[in-house]
Parts: sequence; C-alpha cells; structure tokens
Amino acid sequence: MVSFSKIYGFVHIKSFFQYKFESWLTRRIPQQTEHTLNSGNILIYPTRFGLAYLFFAVLTFLLGTNYQNNIILLFSYLLVSLFITVMLHSFYNFSQLNIRSKASVQGYVGDTLYIPVTISSNKVRFDINIEFSNKAFGCAKETVQQIQPGQHNIKLSYNTVQRGLINLGRLTVYSEYSLGIFKSKAILNFGHQALVFPKPKPIISKHSFEKSQLGDSNTEQYYINLPGTEDFAELKSFVQGESRARTAWKQLAKGQGHFSKHYQASYGHRQCLKLNDMPGNDIETKLSHLSFLVCDFTAKNQGFSLELSNNKSQSTIKVDYNLGVNHQQECLTALANY
Amino acid sequence: MALSSNKTTDSRRTEVNDNPVAFTLTKHNAWFLWLSQCLNILTLVTELDNWMLGIVALSLLWQALLLQKRSDGTNAAKKGVLTANPVSTDIVVNKVPPTLLALFAILGCLAIVLTAKQSGLLLSMVHLLCFSYALKSFELRTRGDFYQLILLGGFVLASALIFKQNLTFSLIIFTLLLFNFSVLLQFFSSAESFINNLKTTGMLLIQSTILAVVLFLVFPRLPAFWQMPIANSAQTGLSDNVSPGDIAKLTRSTELAFRVDFNEQKAPDYNQLYWRAMVLEDYDGKQWSRHNIYSPQQTSKVDENLTAAYLNKKKINAGLTYQVIIEPSYQKYMFALAPAVLSGKQAGIIAMPDYTLLSRKIISQAKSYQLTSYLNEPLADNITNHSREINLSYPKSSNPRLEELASKLKEKFPEPQARARAILATILNENYAYTLEPPLLQNNSLDQFFFETKAGFCVHYASAFTFLMRASGVPARMVTGYLGGEYNEVNSTEQSQRKGHMSVYQYDAHAWSEIWLEGKGWLRVDPTSAVDPQRVNTGWSNQLLQQQSELTNDFITLYQLKKNAWLNSLRLQFDALDYQWTSWVIGFTDKRQYDLLNKWFGYMKPWKLALIIAVVLIISMAFLMCLLHFVHRGKPKAKTQAKWQAIYEKALTRLTKLGLKKPKQMTVNGFAKEVRQKYPELAISFTRLSNTYNRLSYQALSWEEQQKLTLAMAQQYQDLLSQLTKHDKNNVN
Repeated sequence: MVSFSKIYGFVHIKSFFQYKFESWLTRRIPQQTEHTLNSGNILIYPTRFGLAYLFFAVLTFLLGTNYQNNIILLFSYLLVSLFITVMLHSFYNFSQLNIRSKASVQGYVGDTLYIPVTISSNKVRFDINIEFSNKAFGCAKETVQQIQPGQHNIKLSYNTVQRGLINLGRLTVYSEYSLGIFKSKAILNFGHQALVFPKPKPIISKHSFEKSQLGDSNTEQYYINLPGTEDFAELKSFVQGESRARTAWKQLAKGQGHFSKHYQASYGHRQCLKLNDMPGNDIETKLSHLSFLVCDFTAKNQGFSLELSNNKSQSTIKVDYNLGVNHQQECLTALANY
Repeated sequence: MALSSNKTTDSRRTEVNDNPVAFTLTKHNAWFLWLSQCLNILTLVTELDNWMLGIVALSLLWQALLLQKRSDGTNAAKKGVLTANPVSTDIVVNKVPPTLLALFAILGCLAIVLTAKQSGLLLSMVHLLCFSYALKSFELRTRGDFYQLILLGGFVLASALIFKQNLTFSLIIFTLLLFNFSVLLQFFSSAESFINNLKTTGMLLIQSTILAVVLFLVFPRLPAFWQMPIANSAQTGLSDNVSPGDIAKLTRSTELAFRVDFNEQKAPDYNQLYWRAMVLEDYDGKQWSRHNIYSPQQTSKVDENLTAAYLNKKKINAGLTYQVIIEPSYQKYMFALAPAVLSGKQAGIIAMPDYTLLSRKIISQAKSYQLTSYLNEPLADNITNHSREINLSYPKSSNPRLEELASKLKEKFPEPQARARAILATILNENYAYTLEPPLLQNNSLDQFFFETKAGFCVHYASAFTFLMRASGVPARMVTGYLGGEYNEVNSTEQSQRKGHMSVYQYDAHAWSEIWLEGKGWLRVDPTSAVDPQRVNTGWSNQLLQQQSELTNDFITLYQLKKNAWLNSLRLQFDALDYQWTSWVIGFTDKRQYDLLNKWFGYMKPWKLALIIAVVLIISMAFLMCLLHFVHRGKPKAKTQAKWQAIYEKALTRLTKLGLKKPKQMTVNGFAKEVRQKYPELAISFTRLSNTYNRLSYQALSWEEQQKLTLAMAQQYQDLLSQLTKHDKNNVN
C-alpha cells in the first residue's frame, strides 16, 4: 500500500511538472500556422549518446592524466571541444528552418489522414524529423535525410480511430545531426485539428429503411430521382453550391438573373434522415449509416434534412433541408460532433 | 531469398512502429565502419600478440563476408519483387548464431587471461579492448550498439597513444579520429558523399582545435590519480650486456634514440660527443655486463657528493648546460656527456657514481631533463679496492694469446699510458678492418678476432683493448652509449645563430673503453679511433653508410636519403618539426605550463590563476561561437551550376559539332528556332529540351518539381543524342 501511494505521489508530481511544462510551452511558443526556428523556440540538449560521449572524453582524460601522457590529454581536450562545436553546429543546422502547415484536415474513421507540412530552407540541412508530440497516436515520424534549399512538402499521417473533432496537439521537429551527440528540438503548435466523420456504413437492405420511412411519415415512396426525369416545379434564385446542371440557362441568357430549376420529385419528398430511424443497436452504427446516406444522397444530388435527437438530454440537433456539398459538410460535421 | 525478403519487410514494418530492434546501416556506411575498425586496430598492431591479430583478422574477415552477402542479397531483392520497397537498399545487420559468438568470446577471454602473466596487465587490457571491439560488430542490433562501436574505436585510438606519441603517429591517430567521426556523421547524412562528410568532420575538428589548444595550454596538469600498469613493450636501444657484434646489429636501425638542445651554445666537437649510457664492468669471457653494487640509498648519497664536488668546480670552469629529450626505450638508462651534473632537483633520475644516469621508472614516453657537463674535467680520481678488483678480473685462460701479448706489452711498456698507446698503434698499423658485418667468432673468442679475423665493429676493439689492459694489470672497463649525433639547423634563425638541435639515432650506438690511471683517474680510450678515425671525428664514412643500406630492410635507406639533397632537407625539416612536437607537446609538463602562465600573466596567487584560466576558457568559447555564427550567417556560397544547366551546356557543345553555335546574346528560344530551321529532324527534341530549360530557369518551382523536370530534361537530352547519331549516320551514308 505504501508503495502504491508513493507511486501515486510520483505520478502526481510528474503530471504537475508536465502541466507546468505545457503552460510554459504555450506561453513560449504560441499557436501559429508558420514557424521559423530560432533561439526562441529551439531546445537543444545532449542525447544519451552525448552523455556517453562525454563520459568517454572524461575517461580519456583520466587515461592521459594517469599516464601523464600529453597526447592523450590533447586527444581528450579535442573530444570535449568537439562536444561544444557539435552543439553549435547542431543548432545552426536547425535554426532558420521555416515550417508551415494548414490547421485542419478531415476524413472518416479508419482513414489515414495526411497533414501536409511545408518546410522551406535557405540552405542544405540534414536529418530533419517531424512527428506528433503526442506519442499516444502511434504515428510514424517523417524523416528527411537531406533538405535542399527550397520548399519541401511532407505529409504526416494520422490514423483515425475515433469520430469527432480531434485536437492533434503540437508537432515535434527534431534533428540529431551532426554526430548524434545533441538533439535540437522544437515543439511547435500549428493548432492542428482533425475532424473525423463516422465511417460510412451502407445499409444492407434498403427495404427495411424504406419501410421504416413509410411507416413513420406516411408519405410518398422512396425512389431515386434523377434530374430531368421529374416534373419541373419552379425557378428559385441560385444558391451557392447548387448544381449547374439545374441552372435555367434561358433566363440567365436573357439577363433575367441566375435561377435554378427545381423539380417536383425532389420537392415533393422532403427527405428527412433521422438518427432514430437507422437500423442497428448502438449509436455509432446508426451514425455510420447516416454518414453513408448523407454521402449517398449528395452523390445523387438529392436534398435532405437531418435530425439527430438525443434520447438522454431530450434535445435535437437539426440540419435544415438542403442539398449540395456544403450541406453534406454541415451534416457530416454534425454527425462527427454528435 | 524468401528469407531475406521477409527480413526486409519486417524491418520496414517495425520501423513504422519506431522499434529499436530494426536497426539498419546503409551499405556504404557499413563498409566504412568496417574499414575504420580495421584501421583502428592497425594502430595497435605492434602491441598485439600474433594470436590476437589472427583472431581479430578472422572476425573482421567474417564481418566482411557477411556484409558482402547482405549486399548481394539486397541487390537481388531489388531486381525482384521488392522494387518498390524503399528500405531494400539498407542492410539488416547480420545475425550470427549467438551461441557461436558467445563461445568465441569466452575462448578469447580465456586466452587473454592465460597469457596475462607474460604480457602484463596493460597489454592484456589492450588485448581485451581490441577483442571486444572486433566482436562488437557482430552485434549491431540497435543504434546504441553502433554508438558503442564508435566510442570503442575512439578508445582503441586513445590507448594506441600510450605506446607511441611521436608526430607521425599522433597525426595518424588524429586522422583516424576524423575518419571515425565521419563514419558517425555518415549515419546522419547518408545522402552526402563520404568525401563531403570527411570535409564536414574536418571542419568540426578544426574548429574544435581552438578550444582544445587553449585547454591544453591553460587547463591544469594534474598528477596521476592512481598507479597505472606500465607498458612493457619491447626494449629498444642498448642492452644491459654486450658481446662483440651486438652493437653492429643495432646500427642497422635508423630510429631516433634521443635529442639534445644546447640552448644557443655551440655544440662540442664531434669527437667530444661521447654520450654515456652504461658502464659494463663484469666480463665472463663471452660478454660484458653491468656490475650492480649500488643500493638506492647509497646512490642518493653518491649523487649529493658528486653534485657538491662539481658545484665547487663550477667556479673554475664554466660547464655546458643542455637539455636531453629521450625517446621511449622501455629501459632505465639515460644519456649524459660525462662528467655531468643534473641541473637542479629532477625527480625520478639517479646519478650513479660511474657517471651514468638512471631513471627510476622505465622510460615509456619521451622525457626531458637538463644537465650541466664539465667536459674538460677528469672523472673521479679515487678507486675503491672492490672496484679495482672487479676492473682487473677476467676469466683466466679464456683468451691465452691475448694474455700472452699483454704480458709481453707489460714488459716492453711499464708505463700504462704508453702501453695503451702501443695497443692502439698495433691496431692502426696492422691491417684491421672496421665493418658492420664482422665475421662470427667461436665462443666470442677475442683471440680469434685479434689474431685471425682482424675485422670487427666498435665492441670488438673495445673488448680486446679492455681485455689487454686488464690482463696487463691496468683497471679497465667497457662503456656503451652513443657517439656523435646529427646537428639539425632547420629551426635556427639568423638572429640566434645556433638554435638547432642534435638528433642521436640508434645507428650512432658505440662502445669504448676506460682505463684507470694513478693520479689521473678514469681516462677514456676509444680504440675505434685507431681503426676508423673518421667515425670518431666526423661520423659515419660513406663506406659504412653503404654497408648499412645493404643490410637494412628500410624502404628508403639512410644512405639514399643523405645522397639526395632534396630528400635529405625534407627529412631534416620533418625531424625539426618532430623535435618541436616532442619538446612542446609531449614535453609540456606542469612545470613548463606554470612557467608559461607566469610569463604571460606574471606571478600570481593560485586563485587568480584559476580565475584567469576560467576567463580564458570563456573567451575562447565565445570566440568559437562568434566564429561559427559568422560562418553560418555569412554570404551563401556562390551558386554552383545545377544539373539541368550542365545538361543544357552539354547539348550546346554537342550541337557546335554540327556548326551550330549559340551567341551569348541570343535567347534560348531564338536558338531553338534556328535549330528548327537548319536541322528540322532535331527540332522536336531540342525544342522540348529548351522549353524545359526555360521552365527550370524562370519558374518558381518546388524542389520535387525541379527534380522531376531535371529528370525529364536528362531524358530529352538522351532523345536529342539519339537523333544526332541518326543524323550522323545519314550523313555518312
């Protein structure tokens, strides 16, 4: 029991220091989309090999002193001063490196998301490694052995496992050039976020879905409406994101304005996708089905509205009827954040 | 094959998880690492036993075979399925069965332990170090192993410096250090060529020397923390006992024995430079050896008495003060021009009553000491009964004919000095020869030499002379040492005319006699002067040098060197440099450091000195930082010609053969038009090439795009070439 509390205490202290470090880091290196490495944001410290190297230098010093051998002493002094020179070189290999990155990416659960990082350098540099500071992601680091002057595009991969808006945290950029004795490191915050949507899961039998739709709202049948097959209903002024296929070219040519043709079929059945209507037992499966339908409807250019009711809090998230890519984005975001 | 492909895919997967188990070195890096290992161990080659060298060579060979196999394997894999695999060029460092390796290791350690007694502690440690260094390369599993191997290599280099410190060897060691670090650097920048890595490491090391030199000058020399096992390497130079023919063998060596600095005084004449090393008083009929009667306590008393006696005389006759820097001989004897007194208290040196100097410890690295000699003063004029007895004894009837001659001479020349002169006259007048290749004597018989072969080297003559004197009742003894030396004036400047130094080599080894005369004391007689006066007065005759060059195995013999003026001056230059190295770097003792600091900053209290040291270190560190800052922030290097520019140039030179030349002011497009008009068959390929060139020159492109376009341009150039060859063929037809 004693040992347990000790460990607990240790963990406590550790997390305290981690917290302190985090807050210091936030103050020191604020969030930006572009960072230029300089003495303000570079941390430089000897690696374990560096310490071993220093020990080796001390050992040769002892050897030289004990044998009263000046050449061995000179040898050890050279090793020690090399330690310092390498530290400076390590710094100069690293500083003035410019790193830019877009703040957010999105994708579906299970996808590997690629976060583009642009490195620009004014000279040749070596051994630049980039990875997420959060080791829990288990993402591979990206290594550039040699950077030529100019721009470099690197894609950091992130394997999504969970839906929602995920804060990717900071990026660690480090280099052990020249001799692995020192590690130059910068922990940069680009405010990276990943918006992860539920993985689209096709509904196996469309029939069951149709049935539930019928039973629920008692309206028209569910069938695919392709543009042109329906009856024309009305002209509405053009909304950004609407398909150009529906543009009323005649009116546009006459200079009467930009209108879209709307058809009866799509107007008639105001499709509403509801969470509760989805097959499956748990919320995640239902959300996955919804995600599939949202994508499917958008691909077919069909309008729909979305209704996500929460049984526990009795609140409902609604996305109004619309269609198009922006609508899809809105719906998927709602699904991701549910 | 399947196995190796599995391995490579494995390594890739684990790399993704950042697993340290999958550690890879590139092919080049692995080979350079191997090479650095070979070279590092070579520096210790003279210290290692043959069996150890065998083991090390075997394991390195094995390692080379494994590397070879790996690279073959990966080459095959490249051609096969794994073309897309980016790590296929890497080598998954080998897996030798661990039990086999363990067995090997245990056997090796056992062998080291078994031979430890005869080779001594230090050499056993060195053996162990080399052994583990050679075996470690079989276990390169993690990056840490690689680092360990590099550090072990550094330690091998450092320990090689225990045994040798001269300029050449030190330069080799520091060059190898550079090589080792380049291998380490290559690990981090494997895309660079090795030459570039060497350059970078060289830069690093050169920048580091600033601080290293400052540290060397000001960092306090500490006394040894604890006793270390001493190196008992093979002894060089003279030995404790001498038989005729011994020194003749030594003269084949052109190694340095010691150097002397006369501190701007005129060096004595050549025939005064009898560097005394040992006095050999015991003669057993075959060889001369040292008579040990002095205990350390006695000698220190003798030492004081001698010093006092000569210090009194100093007032009458100014002595010659000089510095001797002795090379490591792994023996104890030191050199002096007798009679000599140590200047001041010099720890670790004993002055013996026979005017020789002994070091308390075996001389395992260059050591310097200061002496004052009184060349015109006689040696001690008293002799103990015990000493007289020893210096008269000889094994009776060992050389009956010489004994007979001695008794005849005694009758003819009752005065000892006249008798000695008579012997020298005999040697001079009769047909005696001075040679490096004396005929072998049966049982080292002096009779045979003196009456039959009549050819010998210094020891023959000194032995025979000493024997004759003893047999005729005059106390006599054999002295060995060196005669003469080579004066090197390379360092001398016009202001101080004599500031060179004298180098004495092993081939200057010599033996002479001393006889004791009532009222005059010990008197030096060199029988060699009778047979080869040139040897005594100016040094080796050409005939002797020629003989020596035939006998040695040296690549360039001394004779050849001395004949060629240019080579000889080069040799002297290097000798001067090596002398500076020995006296300033190897001989930079705590006393010298203290003197230097006092000279710079004046006398001061220790804490002030410490403060100054700290300040100097900080200043030099700041200087280094500024220097580096300047280097890195300075102007970017002038742009070298990019690959695509080179391609375009090549295309242009190729086109000049057709009589098409692009004037400087003509644009690329304009020239392309001209080509189109004159050679329509080249139009397509050259226009493409020109367009790509324009894009590369004037468009802002990312690195990848540039690479892609450069590749495309190389292809277009090839197309152009094939068009050109077609064109040429058509013309011929």
